[in-house]
Amino acid sequence: MRTRALWGAAAGALWLALPVLGVDDYYLHLLVMTGIFFLLAAGMNLLLAAGQLNLGHTAFFGIGAYASGLLGIHYGLSPLWTLPAGACIAGVAGWLLGMLTLKLRGAYFVLVTIGFAEVIRLVATNWTDLTQGPMGLAGVPPFNLATERFTLTSKRDYYYLITVLAGATLWTTARLLTSRIGRALRAVKENEALAESSGISAYRYTMLAMVTACVLAGTAGGFYAHYITFLSPELFGFQNTVTMAVMVVAGGQGTVLGPAVGALVFTFVPELLRMAAFYRMLLYGAILLLVVMFMPQGLVFYLRRFGASPAPTPVGPARDGAAFEAGAGVGESPAGSALSVAHITVRFGGLAAVDDLSLELGRGEILALIGPNGAGKSTAFNVITGFQSADAGRVRFGAADITGEPPYRIAERGLVRMFQRTSIFPESSALDNVLTACHRLARTGLAGVLCMSRANRFEERGQIERVRDILAFVGLGHKESELARMLSCGEQRLLGLAIALAPAPSVLLLDEPAAGLNAVETVRLMGLIEGIRGHGLSVLLVEHDMKLVMGLCDRVVVLNYGIKIAEGTPAEIQRHPEVIRAYLGTGDVVARP
Amino acid sequence: MLAELVQHVVNGLILGGGYALMGIGLTLIFGIMRVVNFAHGELFMLGAFFLYTLFSLWGLNFFAASLLAVAGVALVGAIVERLILRRLRDQPIEIPMLAMVALSVIIQNAAILIWDPSPKSIRHPFSPVPLTLGPIHVVAIRVFAGAVAVALIVGAHLFIQKTRLGRAMRATFQDTDMARLSGVDVDRIYMFTFAFGAALAGASGALLGAVFWVYPAMGDLAALKSFAVVIMGGLGNFLGAIVGGLLLGVAESLGAGYISSGYKDAIGFVLIILLLLWRPQGLFGKRGLAR
Repeated sequence: MRTRALWGAAAGALWLALPVLGVDDYYLHLLVMTGIFFLLAAGMNLLLAAGQLNLGHTAFFGIGAYASGLLGIHYGLSPLWTLPAGACIAGVAGWLLGMLTLKLRGAYFVLVTIGFAEVIRLVATNWTDLTQGPMGLAGVPPFNLATERFTLTSKRDYYYLITVLAGATLWTTARLLTSRIGRALRAVKENEALAESSGISAYRYTMLAMVTACVLAGTAGGFYAHYITFLSPELFGFQNTVTMAVMVVAGGQGTVLGPAVGALVFTFVPELLRMAAFYRMLLYGAILLLVVMFMPQGLVFYLRRFGASPAPTPVGPARDGAAFEAGAGVGESPAGSALSVAHITVRFGGLAAVDDLSLELGRGEILALIGPNGAGKSTAFNVITGFQSADAGRVRFGAADITGEPPYRIAERGLVRMFQRTSIFPESSALDNVLTACHRLARTGLAGVLCMSRANRFEERGQIERVRDILAFVGLGHKESELARMLSCGEQRLLGLAIALAPAPSVLLLDEPAAGLNAVETVRLMGLIEGIRGHGLSVLLVEHDMKLVMGLCDRVVVLNYGIKIAEGTPAEIQRHPEVIRAYLGTGDVVARP
Repeated sequence: MLAELVQHVVNGLILGGGYALMGIGLTLIFGIMRVVNFAHGELFMLGAFFLYTLFSLWGLNFFAASLLAVAGVALVGAIVERLILRRLRDQPIEIPMLAMVALSVIIQNAAILIWDPSPKSIRHPFSPVPLTLGPIHVVAIRVFAGAVAVALIVGAHLFIQKTRLGRAMRATFQDTDMARLSGVDVDRIYMFTFAFGAALAGASGALLGAVFWVYPAMGDLAALKSFAVVIMGGLGNFLGAIVGGLLLGVAESLGAGYISSGYKDAIGFVLIILLLLWRPQGLFGKRGLAR
């Protein structure tokens, strides 16, 4: 940690000293361009952290450039005002595009953003009254500090100005990526459903990344406009975005320094290739291909190998089954049932997967929902947690009606589920998995995160303590620094349980928690669920393991073909004739539908 | 008035046939391999240049040259799959995407070095006198291009639905692991799919290259159009690519005729944005397929 800070300070000092050391104007220009591309790549990297590649990013660069340039030309305003205005306009454009496209994923998002940039390029080419079209817009005023007397003239002035902007960008993206916001973004990329069920709104956080990225691009554009003083629709060209994407990926996507390294390398490489004359672009393409094929993790990853590997975090004593701070749901009255489901019906085509199901979960109760395969248990879970909309019926959580709310809002209220199939954030450490899911408990806002306020640091430390407690409780205390995907199947189930406990729910929904566990692990799981109840939580679970159901639960609800056929204590259910018929069939020759 | 409208629609359908061919190739490659082929435009361009070289420079018969050109592009596709994409199969989606972008830079600049950047025309053996049907006039080469496009689309459809290889492709599309367990040689299917998609792009390039001009950057716009086509139709959807292609061709033709030729190339993307407001998964796409 110490050496890294020293290296950083040395690099910063060298950067600041370069113009004084008599570096040629040509190289200063390239460094200024590096700075501009860093702003662009850093923004793109932020959105890519959430798994969304914006291949129309250059549109926002162009929008910021034209907005700032045109305001300067037509209204004679100082770039000191028009540059932020251009950045805001780019941000608003990003917000509008985000509203349209952030529901899209993967390749759809990529292709639609390319299309957006192309439309904007055509507008800039064809709206000649405004932009002078393909001729380009000349006469953009150079940058000045509010009055023309203080106009920036030399390359050195612009070098220091972009250094300030790039420094601010580095700080902002570093804070965002290393805080709970960065964890939320990575969670959306790694496992969106689990992120939502941990109280993270995928839409809200991808939008935050998108708007931040577009404001940065607009700032870069405004700077470019007043630095070069000439604009053309080429700014919107696809090639520009490709350059940015290459910088991000070749530098190291998802890392703080990756875009900076990428911007530096891929601003200078094409210049060095000028020696190759006609073969320049051919060679450039070949270098791109080789870098992408053989260094897909980015240069930063390989640079880091030279540095010392981080010291392993000391592992505390094993405290399996230790207590943890459970917390409680927000804004609920202590009276009444914890969760009540009234007459919910879900139809898939003509088939009613859940038919008029009602159930009540008392406070501190463990209730099982059982039934043969296809009885509608998981569908009922999906309705309760907002992953599936019901055709009829209401779901109440404490006093609040939560019918139709999105999953992240339901989780924010303190109703959290665990999935039937093992669901974790595979590329993060066990500790980070659980820390990510603590999202809803954070109280410091965006400003606190950005300024790295004391409250924020204090909160972060407190959360890590709590996460360690939870990991110890489920018996994974000794595995906190391992990558989640490296854990064994049983450990991943336990990690899933820890993730579900992280948002401090008051009601926990477990979908087949014992699936894939052996007999010993199942017994341990029963102890854990009992312990969870001991922390004041109510538990609703779906399970096929009858030993677990009958040995643990206070009451049991039985579903068959979407209809509730029985409800009662385990002993009553075991004797119930309808239940026996549903599970074992009857002696009738004609099978029931 | 009406005659003019019909004329625009006919022109649009012929153009749309070319777009549909491009789109089918792109959508098959994405559907089966999860690769967004950013070099699709360059494969299109290679189809046109191979035809130009074989026919205009070396003097082969036009039809034989066309066939050989398409076969040549298919070969390029197979090599690209073997040497590049096969190594990147386990990477996240943006890695093969960027590799294909890099490949497109390489192919386009190689084409500039080999054939120089000036536009060339192919002196095809069809009469320049337009065929006339009532008030509508279409030159023979366009009729030929339209007919070949239709034949290729139908052929591709029959191939995928009726043959053993086509069935293996569909199986791989639905579930790669299951297909492999059932004895499908998935490596071969991937290679074949990419070559097949490349051949369709090459055929489209040869046809439209014979109608319009041939130049190294001709693939840029064509690639953008085919992206629009597959988003409209839903990524991975065969029928969607056909309908999307024809729709885009007609919309552009009408837009250029009645609105503004400067914004002709934006029409596809404006259509997409309108479509997304209504159906985010494309015309025929299923929810969740985009992942």
